[in-house]
Order: sequence, then structure tokens, then C-alpha cells
Amino acid sequence: MDKRESMWDVYLRKGMSRRSFLKGCAALTAMMGLSSDKVAKVAEAAEKKPLPVVVWIHGHECTGCDESFIRSAAPLASDVVLNEVALEYDHLLSAASGAPFEAHLDEVIQKYKGQYILAVEGAACTKDNGVYCMSGGHTFTHLLQKAAAGAAAIIAYGTCAVSGGIQAASPNPTGSSGIAHFTGSKPVVNVPGCPPIPEVMTGVVMHVALFGTVPPLDSEGRPRQFYGNRIHDTCYRRPFFDAGMFAENFDDEGSKAGWCLYKLGCRGPETYNSCGNMRWFQGMSYPIQSGAPCIGCSNAHFWDEGPMSRRLPQFSPAVDVDTIGAGLAAVTAVGVVGHAAASVVQKKKRIAAEQAEKGSGEE
Amino acid sequence: MAQHIVVDPVTRIEGHLRVEATVDEGGKVSDAVSSGTAWRGLELVMKDRDPRDAWAYIQRICGVCTTAHALASLRAVEDALGITIPKNANYIRNIMAATLTVQDHIVHFYHLHALDWVSPVEALAADPVATANLQNTVLNTYKLPFRAPDVSSTEAYDHAFPAATPQYFAEIQGKVKAIVESGQLGIFSANWWDHPDYKLLPPEVHLMAVAHYLEMLDKQRELVTPHVIFGGKNPHPHYVVGGMPCSISLNDGNAPVNTARLDIVDRAINLGRTLVNNYYIPDLLAIGTAYVKAGRVDGGGMAKKCVLAYGSYPIEPFSGTSNGDFFKNLLIRCNGVVENFGQGVANAKFTEINGDDVTDSSVLTESVEHSWYSYQKSDSDELHPWDGETKPNYTGPKTGTGTEWQELNEQGKYSWLKTPKWHGKLAEVGPLARYIIIYTKAQKGLLGEPTWAEKMMLDQIDAVSKVLNLAPEVWLPTMVGRTAARGLDCQLNAEINKFFFDKLIANIKAGDTKVANSEKWDPSTWPKTAKGVGLYEAPRGGLSHWIVIKNGKTDNYQCVVPTTWNACPRDDKAGHGAYEMAMMETQVKDPSKPLEIVKVIRSFDPCMACATHMFNAKGEQIGVLTTDPYSGTHVEMADKADKADK
Repeated sequence: MDKRESMWDVYLRKGMSRRSFLKGCAALTAMMGLSSDKVAKVAEAAEKKPLPVVVWIHGHECTGCDESFIRSAAPLASDVVLNEVALEYDHLLSAASGAPFEAHLDEVIQKYKGQYILAVEGAACTKDNGVYCMSGGHTFTHLLQKAAAGAAAIIAYGTCAVSGGIQAASPNPTGSSGIAHFTGSKPVVNVPGCPPIPEVMTGVVMHVALFGTVPPLDSEGRPRQFYGNRIHDTCYRRPFFDAGMFAENFDDEGSKAGWCLYKLGCRGPETYNSCGNMRWFQGMSYPIQSGAPCIGCSNAHFWDEGPMSRRLPQFSPAVDVDTIGAGLAAVTAVGVVGHAAASVVQKKKRIAAEQAEKGSGEE
Repeated sequence: MAQHIVVDPVTRIEGHLRVEATVDEGGKVSDAVSSGTAWRGLELVMKDRDPRDAWAYIQRICGVCTTAHALASLRAVEDALGITIPKNANYIRNIMAATLTVQDHIVHFYHLHALDWVSPVEALAADPVATANLQNTVLNTYKLPFRAPDVSSTEAYDHAFPAATPQYFAEIQGKVKAIVESGQLGIFSANWWDHPDYKLLPPEVHLMAVAHYLEMLDKQRELVTPHVIFGGKNPHPHYVVGGMPCSISLNDGNAPVNTARLDIVDRAINLGRTLVNNYYIPDLLAIGTAYVKAGRVDGGGMAKKCVLAYGSYPIEPFSGTSNGDFFKNLLIRCNGVVENFGQGVANAKFTEINGDDVTDSSVLTESVEHSWYSYQKSDSDELHPWDGETKPNYTGPKTGTGTEWQELNEQGKYSWLKTPKWHGKLAEVGPLARYIIIYTKAQKGLLGEPTWAEKMMLDQIDAVSKVLNLAPEVWLPTMVGRTAARGLDCQLNAEINKFFFDKLIANIKAGDTKVANSEKWDPSTWPKTAKGVGLYEAPRGGLSHWIVIKNGKTDNYQCVVPTTWNACPRDDKAGHGAYEMAMMETQVKDPSKPLEIVKVIRSFDPCMACATHMFNAKGEQIGVLTTDPYSGTHVEMADKADKADK
């Protein structure tokens, strides 16, 4: 097979200096959330590793993940797709259509067998042999299995690819699920979110491109550097939660002053994502900063967790939210190492609350 | 001999689309098939959900026209519950809509459609000096001067201007050359670059356009920052029933909206105006003129026969849509249908659409003769969305198997899209429809005193007619006209964005900071049963959402979306839909490289996930009948009772 270029080769071919190459590496290091002493390592990786081939396929989806990807500021999407990787197949950006495009995909899968990165956007539709999601005259699951078999690594972009997403919400009319059942033993990086933050999407590709390996993952296959914190723990409104200061209604004085949106249904306390620390558009905002409670869009099956305006709402009337706030803060403090504990506790509370609610004969 | 061609997947669109065409020896398309090849069932998912959450679920229909479905959904729910949103919320939602339209049209022109007109390969032959000269000529010749009257100007000068230096174009050319020579063409792989259509433009136009493709890829993200400020993110910003969640305070640094945050919005609006004026419109007219001069005034199809729109931009809050109030204070009164525009304005007929029409069960309907669904009585029945049925009935292709297609069955069922109708007729929707309707109304004296936006539309049409030296009736209903109307719509929306920003500032200045009306937030204030309609002119055309609320829950949810109007399968009585008609009005030079087909299809800006997400109107049990001869026949029943228990 053809020799593939490293990032350094590309810089050489473009007549760019060693200095600008190192500058590029420093920017990438910062973008990936690594400390500056990792610049040398990034530079070394960028010099030696070949320019990776990326194949991006679409199942049951809305193309919002593609759109998020091209919103990335650092790196710019144009730099990623024209300079850092070879994006050989993508329904949104690729020029070609139809039979020649499908033939090109087969060629790429053969030529770069075991070496390409497969990016998957959208859920796998399984009901009735997958006929509710056809592309190129085949089922999407057929394409997914074919493309996964030859991939070096797989990136599941967005909550749909990770856990089925919106179409898998009850009653899941098309039998949709995350892609895991179709990827065999290949390493899968789960990048949930509806959609994920732009720089998280490009950051994952860049990590694979630079280090030749998938980024360090947590127990759910998510890159730790982007999904290591709960939004609640990194939220700029967190001090108000701890102080028991809550917005009671949309547009009230508390909402204006940046008080906690917990009582309006915010799912920040159970959601692992970078919205609180990286935020959207390079620190510009995230839903909570814009006055909207988090809907937990990076959580599996978040669409089926009850009305969005009611998170932790139905505790015994004797307990007010201020007490709950203090209690949870304590749990969080204990759970600095194993912060999953907070979610577990919370989930149990919620399930209990929901059962109590049901029992009270609402329906 | 006639050849049958298949293009699947059609790329550079949203979602999954397949087209087939029969091309005779002279290159004429004698029959064409447009098929939506995926079905997600999102309206089914809506059943029993909290109506206050509907916007979030239904927004996920589409991430390209992100926010379009949320806006229509909010209007439907608020119509049902009788909620009037505050002034600020109306202005902010209009800014969200205009922002989407500006960014979406720019991305469509440069990143989804451009590579049908221009080629990086052709750009290699360009002379960078000549390209720099061309850039200057294009700006001097094709810049349209239009601005909204009496809106603020916070930009000292146009900060975004295309570079017109030979060195810059040499740099871009070098980059393209390196990519081509590396053998890894990436996104430029495997296209029909040797198609003769690419020779219609000189190499310098190709190089200029490729440079702008790259610049706009970098810039488009900055256009959507109003979504990030007001909705927290993009794609898929957040909303709230009753208004907006982004409370306004000029006293709080933590406030979702304060002066610093409004400045970010203003900057994005300014950028939109300069990008469309200095890049999009000049590029569009330069390319469009070359095509028209080469005699390419085809691909109109349905636009000559029937176009439809619902009207857009309520200037002030309205009390409802089904009560007709929505239609009373619109900035663009394109709510209606124009028939026979291709025969000239004198022979064209305009019919208004108002509140009674959207709720009258005989006006807007859908049928399923050629869709993979069946109706209880007859598939040719025309059912109003309120009375709609969705029983999937996948019958597979004409040749091949249920999971491996060769040719679809144009005689039978062949798409997951239904066929929407207005008074039994099919129609085209989109920016072109909006421009044809306003133009026709004005010519027939039905517009009265035009709003500033309507006047701008008429002036734009007049200016383009002079550039192309053709009458509007000739150039509008064509592929070039459809593409041009989108560019004009982009320029118009950039001004509308500023118009509503000014209204927002003036209202805050007057002391009103309210963004949400929470009076009916509590479901105990709702009637036991309520119905609502939400209309919204999305970037791709008229969008309508319907909701039925029962006992505080969503009982029925449905959408009739722009791409369903345009990409629908044929109807035995009413004929072909807009995609199929446009293909049948297109000449194909080489059936093995049907570039003309995908170019005319992309002139509609397809959004397939929007179009193919059907519903069970009454929430009855859904039966899935599979009659695939290769996998056997079986029926699955999804038990709705199951879900009620959960």
C-alpha cells in the first residue's frame, strides 16, 4: 500500500518551517487539554505517525454531529479535513455521489485495511432486518459491519451512535440502538452528546491522528479528558447550588443573577460532559449559562428519563431543595475519587421518587 | 436506447436520498424517481411526552436546519395552550430564525452545492493574477446594494472582504495542487470532475470559488453565535414554551443576556451581512450568469406550476395560528399559493392561505399511493394531518431484495415520504416559492403597501432580472433561479436579523426585560384537550407542526415539512412531485456521470431526515407489515399499552 504522510511530511511538502510545525503542535497540545510539557510528545507523534484515513458513515441521525464538527474553532474543521486527516468518505462534505462514491469506499476499505478510523454518526436500525435505514441500496447495518471489520479504531459520534439516541426513545419504532453490537472487538471511542461539543469532536480525531491510539477512556468508553467531570462540578452556577440559591421560575430574578437551575429540572448533577469547563464556542456559553437547564444529552437514554422540567422533584414534602443541595454537596465531596457514586445515589432517589409518584395514583 | 440510472447515496445533503432516472438517447429524462430511504418514527416517540418538552425532541429531526423544528413546535404548543409570548421572546426567536437562515444558506451554497458548479481540478489551470482581477470585477459587477432601511449600523466598515491578491490565490492553488498530487483526495475523491459542465466556467472562477469555499468553512461557525448566546449551544439550542430561557439583565454579570452578550449577537449579525454581500451574492450571480448565458434555464418543473408558503416573521407577538392572528402582522406576507407562474404573471393565479385553511380538513392533506405506508380505506385517500394514519407497509424494490436494492418500483410504493397536497395538488416550497409569491402578489396589486422586507424582495428580483437580462417569469422558475432565490433570501434574512435586533434593543431600553410568559407553565392550567398548529418558513420552505394535547400529555404530534413537499413520491392523479419534475426537465449529457441530476436535486437543498419521520396520528397500535418476498411476510405489532405502563 501507499506510504502515508506524517503531519511533519505535510509541513515539509508545504514548505513550512520547523518552527511553525512546533507552534502547531503547541496549539494542538493546548486544544487537547494536555499540559505544555507534553508539547514534545505531541511533536514527536506528529512527526512519525502517518496521516490517518477517516471514513465517516451515517445511520439513523440528523447530521447535527457533522454540523457540530464543522463548528470547531481549534482546530478549524478545514484544517482537520484538508491537512490533518484524509476524510475519504463522508455524506455531508464529500464531492462524489452514487456508484463511484460507493466504489471508492470499497477501495478505501481494502487499501487501508486495519489502518483507517471509522467515524459513525447515528444509530443502528435493527428492526425488520434494518430496512428502515437504507443507503446505497443496502442496509446501514450491512455498511456498518463491513466498515467496522477493517477499521483500526471506531469513533461513535453522538448519543445516537453511542446508545441509540432519539429514535431509540420509547417505543423505539425502528428498533434502533447504539453501534456496539456491530463493531466486534474493535476499540470504540464513545463521544456522546446531542451533539457533542465541536472541539470535543475534532479533539478525539486529533488524538488518534497524533498519538496513533485512542485517547484514555473511562469505563463507558468515553475519553476521560472530555467526559471526566460532571457539568454540575464545573458549572459557574455551582456556588449558588451550594449556597441553596435557586431560580424558581424561568425569567425570575434568580435566573437573571445566575442562580442554580436545579429546581427547573437541570440534569447537570448527573451528566458527564465538558459543557461546564470547555463550554461551547470556546468558552462562550452553554445551555445553563443561557438560562436553560441541562437536558443531560450525553447520558444514555436521556430521552426516556421523564419530563425535562422535573428532575429530583418528588421528594417528600418535608425535605426542601436547600437540604437536598447540601446533602448532595456532601455526597460529591466524598465522591471526589469515585464520583459515579453521586449519580448512583441520585438515580436511586429519582427511581424511588418516580415509583412513589406512580403509587400516588397519578396514572 | 433508454438507460436507467441510479444515484444512491445522494451526498452533500442531510440524510438518506436515492434518485433514479430513465434517460433516453437524446439525454432527456423521461421518468424520475425520488426516494427517502430511511424512516425514524419520531412522531411516534412524541406520544405521551410532556408538551413542554416537545421542542427538544422534535428539534432532533434535523441538525442542519437545527432550530427550525423547535420553532415550529413551540408555536404549535403555544397555539394549543393559548400562550402569547413576550415581545423580547418574539424578537429573539426571529433572530434565531434569521441567524439559522443566513448560516444555513451560506453552508448550502458553498459546502453542499458549490462542488456541482466548481471543481478544484479546474482551479489548477487558473492564473492567480487573472483570478485576482476577476475577484475585483465580480465585486464591482455583481454586488447588490440592498440594505434594510432605518436599521442600526454598528460596523465601521465591512470587516470581511474577499482577498483579491495574486499571492493569495497562488497559495490556495498550491494547497489544492498538493492535495491532488498526494493521491489522497479526501473529500474531493471520486467525483465526476471530467464532466463537461465544469467547463462552463473559466478556471479563474473555479479558483475564486474554491478559495471562498475554504473561507466560508472557517467563517460559518461565527454566524451562529446568536444561538450560543440565546440558546446555549449550536447545533440544537435550547428553548422554553412561553418564550425564551435566556433572561435579560443589565445588572448582572452572570445573566444569560446582558450588554456584553448582546454585543456578540450584534457582531455575528454584522458578519452575516458582509459575508452575504461581499461573497455569496457576487459569487452566485457570476456563476448564475454564466449558466444562463449558456442557455441553462431548465430544471424549474413544479415552480412553474404550483408554489406554496405560509408567510414569515411575525413582527410582534401573536395570540395564535389556528385563530388566524399569526397571519395578521407578518413581515413577509407570502402566505398562499401561486399556480401557473410559468405562463406569466397575467395567467398565474394566487390563492391566500389563512387560519381557516390550516384547520380545514380538505385543504392540506397527505396520501400514500407510492409511499411505504397503507391507509385503512384506500391509499389514494387524501387525509388531513389531524386524521392521518401511518401504517408502515414496506414492499421492497422492483428488482433486488428487501435489503439489497437494484431498482425501485415506480409503479408501486418506493419512498418513506408521504405525498402532501394543497386542495389535491402538489406544490414546491422554499425561498423560490416565497419570492414567486411576493412578486406575483405585487404584480397583481394584491400586496397593498409592501413592508420594507417585501419591497427589498421586489427590488432584488428587479436587480437580478437586469443582470441576467431576462424577465422574472423566465429566470425564477429554473434551477439557477431556485439557487439565486436562496441567495437573495440569505441577503434578506441578514437584514431581518438586524431589524429584530434593533427592536430587541429598543424594547430593553424602554424597560421591558421579560422573555418568558409562565402563566400557563403549570399543566393544571391547561384544558383537558387542546389542539395547536405552528407554521414557520424554514430555510427550505413552509413547515407546519400539529399537536393534540390530552390530559397534559402529547396525544398526537405530526409535521408536514418542506422536503416532504419537494421530494415526495408521485401521485396517480396529481402527478410528479417537485424533485421528480425538476429531474424530468433536465438534460443529461452523459448518463454514466449524471452531474446535472444531482445538481438540480441539490438546488432544492434536500433535508431528508426532516421528510421521513412519520407518525401515528391517533396513537393507535402500529402494525408493521413486511412483505419482502425474500425474508418472508410477517406482521409485528408494537403494543402501545406497554408504554403506558412504563
